Amino acid sequence: MTQEPKSPAMGTLAGMETGADALNAYSKDISFVNSVRPACVTRPKDAKDVQQIVKFANETKTPLVPVSSGAPHFRGDTVPSVGGAMIVDLSAMKKILLVDRKRRVAMCEPGVTFAELIPEVEKAGLRLNMPLLPRKSKSVTGSMLEREPVLMPKYHWDISDPLACAGLFFGTGDEFRTGQAAGPGTIAEQWAVGGVQKAPYGPGTASWHRMIQGAQGTMGIVTWTSMRCEILPSLEEPYVVGSLQLAPLLELAHWLVRLRMVNECFLLNGANLAAIFARRWPEDYVKRKAALPPWVLFYTVAGYEYFPEERVRSQVQDITEITQRLGIEAQRAAGGVSAREILRTVQRPSEEPYWKLRAKGACQDIFYLTNLEKIEGQIETFLHLGEKAGCAASDIGVYVQPIVQGTSYHCEFNLFYDAENRRESDRVREISALGTKALIAEGGFFSRPYGENARMMVNRDAASVAVLNKFKKIFDPNHVMNPGKVCF
Amino acid sequence: MALSKDVYRAFEDVVGAEYICDDPVIMPSYHQTEFAAVLLPQNTAEVQAIIRLCNKFSLPFRPVCTGWTGKFAKGSLYLDLRRMNRIIEINEKNMYAVVEPYVISAQLQAELMKGGLHLNVKGAGSNCSAMLRGHGHLDQTTSGDDRNHLAIEWVTPAGEIVRSGSLGSSDEWFCGDGPGPSLRSILTSAVPPGVTPGVFTKAAMKVYHWPGPAKFPIQGVSPNYSLSEIPPNFMARYYSFPSVAKMFEAENKIGESEIAFELMGFNVAMVAANITTSNEEEEETFRRLSREVQGPGFFVIVAGNSAADFAYKRRVLEHIVAEAGGKSLASLEDPRLEGILLCQCIRISASIRETFRPGGMFSSIPVMGQRDLTIQWAIGAGKAKEPLIAKGLIVDDGGAFFGWGVEQGHLGKTEIFCKFDPQNPEAKAAVEAWHKEQSTRAFKERYFALLAGQDEEIGRGLSNYHIWWNEIQKELDPNRVSPEGGALV
Amino acid sequence: MGLEQYKGDMEMCCRCSTCKFIPMQRVSGHDFVNVCPSISRFNFHSYSGGGRLNIGAAMLRDGFQYTDRLLDIVYNCQMCGACGVSCNYAMDMEVLEPIQEFRIRCVADGKTHPALDKAIAGLRAHGSMVPPTGKRGDWAIGLGLKDATREKVDVLYHAGCLTSYDPSLQKLARATAKILQKAGVNFGIAGDAEICCGGRAYQMGYQEDFLRQARENMALIKQAGIKTVVTACAEGYQAFKVLYDKFKLRGDLEVLHISEFVDRLIQEGRLKPRKKVGLSVTYHDPCRLGRLGEPWVHWEGKKVPGDRFVFDPPKTYRRGTHGVYDPPRNVLKSLPGVTLTEMTRIKEYAWCCGAGGGVSESNPEFAQWTARERIREAESTGAEALVTACSWCEKAFDEAIRETGSALKVYDIVELVEAAIS
Repeated sequence: MTQEPKSPAMGTLAGMETGADALNAYSKDISFVNSVRPACVTRPKDAKDVQQIVKFANETKTPLVPVSSGAPHFRGDTVPSVGGAMIVDLSAMKKILLVDRKRRVAMCEPGVTFAELIPEVEKAGLRLNMPLLPRKSKSVTGSMLEREPVLMPKYHWDISDPLACAGLFFGTGDEFRTGQAAGPGTIAEQWAVGGVQKAPYGPGTASWHRMIQGAQGTMGIVTWTSMRCEILPSLEEPYVVGSLQLAPLLELAHWLVRLRMVNECFLLNGANLAAIFARRWPEDYVKRKAALPPWVLFYTVAGYEYFPEERVRSQVQDITEITQRLGIEAQRAAGGVSAREILRTVQRPSEEPYWKLRAKGACQDIFYLTNLEKIEGQIETFLHLGEKAGCAASDIGVYVQPIVQGTSYHCEFNLFYDAENRRESDRVREISALGTKALIAEGGFFSRPYGENARMMVNRDAASVAVLNKFKKIFDPNHVMNPGKVCF
Repeated sequence: MALSKDVYRAFEDVVGAEYICDDPVIMPSYHQTEFAAVLLPQNTAEVQAIIRLCNKFSLPFRPVCTGWTGKFAKGSLYLDLRRMNRIIEINEKNMYAVVEPYVISAQLQAELMKGGLHLNVKGAGSNCSAMLRGHGHLDQTTSGDDRNHLAIEWVTPAGEIVRSGSLGSSDEWFCGDGPGPSLRSILTSAVPPGVTPGVFTKAAMKVYHWPGPAKFPIQGVSPNYSLSEIPPNFMARYYSFPSVAKMFEAENKIGESEIAFELMGFNVAMVAANITTSNEEEEETFRRLSREVQGPGFFVIVAGNSAADFAYKRRVLEHIVAEAGGKSLASLEDPRLEGILLCQCIRISASIRETFRPGGMFSSIPVMGQRDLTIQWAIGAGKAKEPLIAKGLIVDDGGAFFGWGVEQGHLGKTEIFCKFDPQNPEAKAAVEAWHKEQSTRAFKERYFALLAGQDEEIGRGLSNYHIWWNEIQKELDPNRVSPEGGALV
Repeated sequence: MGLEQYKGDMEMCCRCSTCKFIPMQRVSGHDFVNVCPSISRFNFHSYSGGGRLNIGAAMLRDGFQYTDRLLDIVYNCQMCGACGVSCNYAMDMEVLEPIQEFRIRCVADGKTHPALDKAIAGLRAHGSMVPPTGKRGDWAIGLGLKDATREKVDVLYHAGCLTSYDPSLQKLARATAKILQKAGVNFGIAGDAEICCGGRAYQMGYQEDFLRQARENMALIKQAGIKTVVTACAEGYQAFKVLYDKFKLRGDLEVLHISEFVDRLIQEGRLKPRKKVGLSVTYHDPCRLGRLGEPWVHWEGKKVPGDRFVFDPPKTYRRGTHGVYDPPRNVLKSLPGVTLTEMTRIKEYAWCCGAGGGVSESNPEFAQWTARERIREAESTGAEALVTACSWCEKAFDEAIRETGSALKVYDIVELVEAAIS
């Protein structure tokens, strides 16, 4: 396909490290996947380095494990599943390649984190559609490739959003650009005529970006991504609605998203809100949890360039009609947490230490997609199961995120635990496995299955897996890309 | 070309004698191609059985819905999906609908409107399959291209039934992606445009909130339909601008302000086509409107969720238009014409007036993607139409292109037509030459690539996508029974 | 010229399939969206309006090749014209006319249907499209009606073949006569001298037989000095009003359907429906009273060379716009105790009863299938009765109801008017 460079010698690969410390750092993460020590770590600085690495891997049949975010890792996807693997740590690729206000697009290398990109896009009057409080070291590219849910469902037209285009090397070592970026012309040539890398579909029939999203690095290595950005509002009015019951909040969320009246819109339970805002542990956490309503819906009404106050006023008025119908009330604060504080917090990455680790130093996330009717029952099932296993329901964090403009919902349970405490750790592992199984039985769809529970999902759909394996055979015929992950 | 008796009988066993025909006499109604036979399957199981037989007998097949023009291989089997026409589910709470391929957009839209929902109807018209991939008048707020599909039931070219996303493992339609990489990477073209090999037998699609009435209050007798009243909190206007730059400035700001329910970058020729009931009337109206406008323009529908929402959106719209020097086309403020346009452009019921009515044929270069970039190209393509208009070879539309912002201006669609008489060889040749020149220029000047089949040079210029796609096809369709080829549904 | 004159129209078909559906703006749900019985029943595209034009264009180009399938396509069509209405919402082209010409061509080439041949043989022998059950004028015995062939009358009531001979439908003729009597109209009938209008023969493709009937009828009318003909059957209405005019045989004869006439009489105060009927009804627009009942437009011209399919002089298409839709509705609304609920497919895009185009003779099963679909639609309105304005429709619906066991009642509009004025 493309002209390939000559195979390099291993020693010449970019940033090669084989020291024990480096290898140990990548041999495990916070998840329960088996610890496997890689054979070496490389740290490419640019696309050329990446291509050389992939070329080398193909010739030597060396498994590659791409990593773009910094530690800590949570899902097992960056821990090798097989021995002799080479870690391809892309975190040094930190160029922000483009921020274009007019076309509402930004473009960066995989090492660029949210903390680094946010200020740059803000300078241009733009913002990112963020996941909920990513850790500071989280790669923007990594988040998009993982199809992480984002906070503003209104701007989440497609589950692949906000990813626009990507530049990558398939497992074969061939370079490829997805969507509008594919051509004609090089990226520089496209820029020269006023083109940006925005439209995600194509070239041709396929929407290639969808093939690398959710793949956990099994199809190739991405060297840059572009993303759609949203305009920075000129006025933002955040609200919280607390409730003992989840149902009215879900109903309200449905209408807020359906009528596209709000930007950020998500639900958290008291445990998660407390975990995010507690300053002193454990007292403040316990106090806050007790003060907060069991369920809180957060949303922001915003105005842009024209008559922002009028826009906010009319939307607040329309929302009030809905809340009155549902017998709930939007407020400026709940349980001592102000809506403004929530807004300010979720528009940035998490402060250190990462919010999920503050309680007990480790966290296991169980997340899946579902529909509106099933959320409540599934949450009840999971919390009940947790209780049965000895984990108080009030200690389990729950996050519900309407996605894709309200066509589905990301539901996430956060189990905070002490990794050093074997009993606690085993319990969380058990809840995770049993919970996953129970949620699947109740129609939960683990669209991004990670780690040791992934098989429970992929084994249910042999037909799709068979097709995915045909793709895998084409794009990674030597099976060097992160073997053992997803269904490969 | 004809099927042997045994092969015919095998297919007949699947669909029944009433639903297979190989009489050459019916073939002219199916795209002027000598098909080996036409089959009318009624469900997924029959489609699967047919495809398995196609593999067994090495017979190519093509699935088609309502079936506009298309290119097909001689001797192939034509799968007419018109018996697969059920709405499987409308899920109001989760904002999706599931349909079989022969449900037309008009049907689904009408059912959705009853429950306060609607969908992205493709510009081809509401007479086409609701699961068609593409763009249309409503893209401003209902997205487009392949971005509205959720889970899909797909019979592969090898005859396997694949149910993508949540459907495959959870028996739910809400998501088409995963587990892991998304099959939507290739399940992009719902039934025919015929480019995703195999057959989509059911598809879930996103639907959207509809702030209007359960049914439009239509009055009159065809073709003189109009609305008895403009629904509350709705407004339709056509604005013209002093220049393309000013028009785009306003279009972009309207997108960013999130105030338009629909923004359709019609030229006045297309407006004239929509509001007139005959060719002669259209021609006259086009001339009259051309004198009324100050330059290029667009058609906007504002729809409020409430009176306050409507008032705000209207105020912003008028402000943006004024800032850009825009002017409302006064004659379209007549409530009768406003109502006609409003209804046409939501129900997408006049696409044929816009395209086929004048001469019987049109040749188009449609471009999806970055609106400002494609506008730059389209200005030149429009100028290149002018000599053809002057010679009377194509219909006079002022050399205009059209287009609109998609997803409130994040993406866009630009298109340019030549409408002509296909029985006139000189016109046909001139239009073909224009098409080739302008698409070649687009590619050479790095605007975009118009894909028509597997062009080696274009493929090389687009990351060698054609080689990868060919590999995928080989894997999915080892016996090559599911050929590509354009056909609208 | 025949089919050849429509070459350009047939080539204009862009195969968009709108001919299969009611006009898109009128689609109000998933159900009752089809408008063409033939494609709905037989499914292959060749049975649609567009498919028929595509085949016609191909045969003009490549020569006629008759097969059993082709004749099956040709004769399984009610010639109801719905395809043309839907097409002509957007397109400027003739649709039903080339389909009609294709059928005429088949007959001319001897490619006929035996059941239609039989019906035409009856017409030639008895001047009727239905087998005589006695004398043609027997239905009027005892009513004391004037013989228009002998006495001077203002209006000729042409009863039509089915109403004259079918014992179960003669009541319609009698009801019509009583209405006219009640209104004090100076009218007469031709009685035994009445012959078939020829309309159904024309739909079947037997143009010469139609012309013979038309000439004979017009001769009778001229001789009797009749200025106005009233029919209570949509077939007759269309024949006298539209087809006779198409062949320039009608002259200045005024042709009225009984629903138009009654509407006029009520408006003029000459007819006062006072008796409560007490019925919830839905109304079926007969094709040949509705969309095909619109006046013929005489036009001769040539295509203007160039980019557009336009003509010199400009051509006015018959798009179903000016059919008879309001008069029967006005009449129903004026009947005490009658409430009208509309079906989904009405007026210019009404679904056919199934009896047209000779289908009730050539393929009774298909005719019944078509009628059953209409019954289903009528039932969906919740009305007690389906009212029509054509004896052929009533016959088709009666048979469908007998077969399905539907509780729906079927009436002709004259029956309800008679009940309200008696």
